[in-house]
Amino acid sequence: MTRISVGDASLTNILARQGADLRGQVQRAAQEVATGRHADIGKVMRGDVAPLLAVDASLARLAAYKTNTTDAAFQTAAQQSAIAGLSQLASGITMTLMGSRDVQTPAQVNVTAADARGRLASVVGMINTQASGRAVFSGVATDRVPLGGSEDLLAALETAAAGSTTAGQVEAAVNGWFADPLGFGAFYQGGASLSAAPIAPGEAADLSTTALDPAIRDTLAGFAMAALIDRGVLAGNADERARLAQIAGQTLHRTEDARITLAARIGTVEAQIETARSRNAAEATSLGILRSDIGSADPYEAATRLETFRTQLEALYLVTARVARLSLTEFLR
Amino acid sequence: MSITSALAGALSGLSATSRQAEILSSNVANATTPGFARREVGLGAAVLAGQGQGVQVLGVTRDVDRHLLGERRIAQAGGGDRDVRAEFLKRVEQTLGTADNPSSLAARLATFDQALVESAGRPESQARLNSVAATAKSLMAGLAAATTDIQNARASADRRIGEDVGKLNATLQQLHELNVNLRSFTGAGRDVSALLDERQRLVDQISAIVPVREVPRDLNQIALFTVGGAPLLEGSAAVIGFTPVHTITPEMTQALGGLSGITINGRPYETAGSASPILGGTLGALFSVRDELSVSAQGKLDAAARDLVERFAGLDPTLAPGAAGLFTDGGGAFDPLNEAGLAGRLRLNAAADPTQGGALFRLRDGLGAATEGPPGNGTLLAALHSALTGARPLASTGFAAGNRSFAVLTSDILSDASALRLSAQSEQSFSAARLTALTDLEAQNGIDTDREMQELLVLEKSYAANAKVIQAVADMIDILIRLGR
Repeated sequence: MTRISVGDASLTNILARQGADLRGQVQRAAQEVATGRHADIGKVMRGDVAPLLAVDASLARLAAYKTNTTDAAFQTAAQQSAIAGLSQLASGITMTLMGSRDVQTPAQVNVTAADARGRLASVVGMINTQASGRAVFSGVATDRVPLGGSEDLLAALETAAAGSTTAGQVEAAVNGWFADPLGFGAFYQGGASLSAAPIAPGEAADLSTTALDPAIRDTLAGFAMAALIDRGVLAGNADERARLAQIAGQTLHRTEDARITLAARIGTVEAQIETARSRNAAEATSLGILRSDIGSADPYEAATRLETFRTQLEALYLVTARVARLSLTEFLR
Repeated sequence: MSITSALAGALSGLSATSRQAEILSSNVANATTPGFARREVGLGAAVLAGQGQGVQVLGVTRDVDRHLLGERRIAQAGGGDRDVRAEFLKRVEQTLGTADNPSSLAARLATFDQALVESAGRPESQARLNSVAATAKSLMAGLAAATTDIQNARASADRRIGEDVGKLNATLQQLHELNVNLRSFTGAGRDVSALLDERQRLVDQISAIVPVREVPRDLNQIALFTVGGAPLLEGSAAVIGFTPVHTITPEMTQALGGLSGITINGRPYETAGSASPILGGTLGALFSVRDELSVSAQGKLDAAARDLVERFAGLDPTLAPGAAGLFTDGGGAFDPLNEAGLAGRLRLNAAADPTQGGALFRLRDGLGAATEGPPGNGTLLAALHSALTGARPLASTGFAAGNRSFAVLTSDILSDASALRLSAQSEQSFSAARLTALTDLEAQNGIDTDREMQELLVLEKSYAANAKVIQAVADMIDILIRLGR
């Protein structure tokens, strides 16, 4: 038979289903407007979430590199300022020491030697610099300062130079001690060089400078020779004492280049760290923009969608109300 | 005789109209009853000895479109099947974490990576070593939580199979009893519409679990077969056997033992593949979740766990060859033959874990280090980071070949879960649309109260007309009686 009727349930079902569908859409759009994130990121990425995850992983790693560049920059800055201090202490006394044989009286030599002994203490203090609890010239043994006290250093040198009668012998003994692994090598309390610190993807900063660096070691030797005079080496032989002071001055003068080279080397690392830092920051910014592009919902688009669905839902409510009143029963009264 | 015939005819009209009103009232009352099919009273001219004798009620017919019903049942089964699969795959995606979720596996890995980089930059920092251990544990916790979730989903699938089978058995038994009742009532010529409605409702319930084909037999009997061909109801109800398991571990499968298959009347049937007669509804989908989908999801997690273990094994110069590295299988070294469920068993090496009596410095100095070494030594930490980010081939199956870093592997797993979920959902919405269309068609054939009201008007009129005829006949008889006075 030909049907001329439509079951009541049919219309109810259709209206209910469309209502549920629209309410779901409204909810999703409202969520996207409120959170700024896609309600279903997997669907937006069509199942391939690898690009988004790669961006997130890079952002996380860049945050770690940011911490590392800050640490490494702090370490190199501390080294740099210690070496600058060393150079300043050395240049303040070099000329005086070099003139001790020709211009100075033995009494003046004694005063200069006492000054050098004080400066040696300062130099040791500077090499023992710590940056945020980390001894910067100790290599891997970051928990220990690299050098003992300056008086211990001088005592060790005195023992090494015992019996010397000329300035040349003292110089040889001092240089020998500093070159000896059992001499200065044993006096050095730090460890092997630090391994390079990762500061950017695939890039590491060389933080290998320790107190064993020849520039630092020879500077120490220069100061120590002058300071030994104040400790009473070659006592009674004013001429040899003045000569030793002069050798000390010459040593300090000679090592100036090495100190500058060292400062330049650390400066290069500082520059590298700084470059890495700004590059990382730029990368993080552009990745952040990319992340928003990929992973964030467009609030205007979501708001427009919300408005559309709201209008549709209102229309549906109106239709539902009107249709519900369309019943023959109502008119049969 | 003709006047009395007129009276009898009008009377038959009245009773037919009452019968129609009765059926109409039942239609209107059941306008919203699910599974109720519209009834119609069949009328015919009553003929007695070759002459018209008014109207007679031929019977009550149920207005059912059998073809549509069959289609809808199959669509319903398909919808149930897709729902179960999509629900599981969505759960897997959720448990691994969507890409923008801060507790996703990828996010946990990113923090571990970050901690390793920071720690290599400042190896003496206790806080950073601690964060390496903490983020490593969080990564393992993510894998373990996903494992637990997947295994729980398997256990719940197993339980639901048990429930479905119980429901099938009970419903089949009820159907069998209805068949018996219908046979005797039909034989006695009684109105069986209500019983037919009830039987249709029960078959609907079964067809959500397994798609069935209904074969009509004489005397209002039906036989039921699954679309795949297994007999469910033929003379007597089939008995379906299944044994649920209390807890499920990753190693248990139907093939290797531990999990039950299905039997019909004691005969075992396949639960997967083209030979299986029970596919197409929730039952088949639950078997698929328990035996295929979850096993594959778990396999991927285990492959990731194995990759993680192997990346960090053999890095550490303080360890003997073959000893467990940073990540261990429940504390010991990993055995390649024991990969199933590894994701749930990962532990941080006890030597480096303070909560297991170890010490953090071993993360930096080597797991076999007896005493703490120089605190600034970042060599091993940097090596750990490059082991994590380096590309290496996978030892496990289930992935496309090629070298991957662990981050790529993780994002492969997440993308995979996302893609599977999306395709399952698109199939789900496709089958839902089909089911909706068929349900709408079925609903259109349902009760239309407007139409019933219209018929009510007709009935009123015809009742009044029949009554009027009786009144007129009575008047005519009165006239005749008056003539005799």
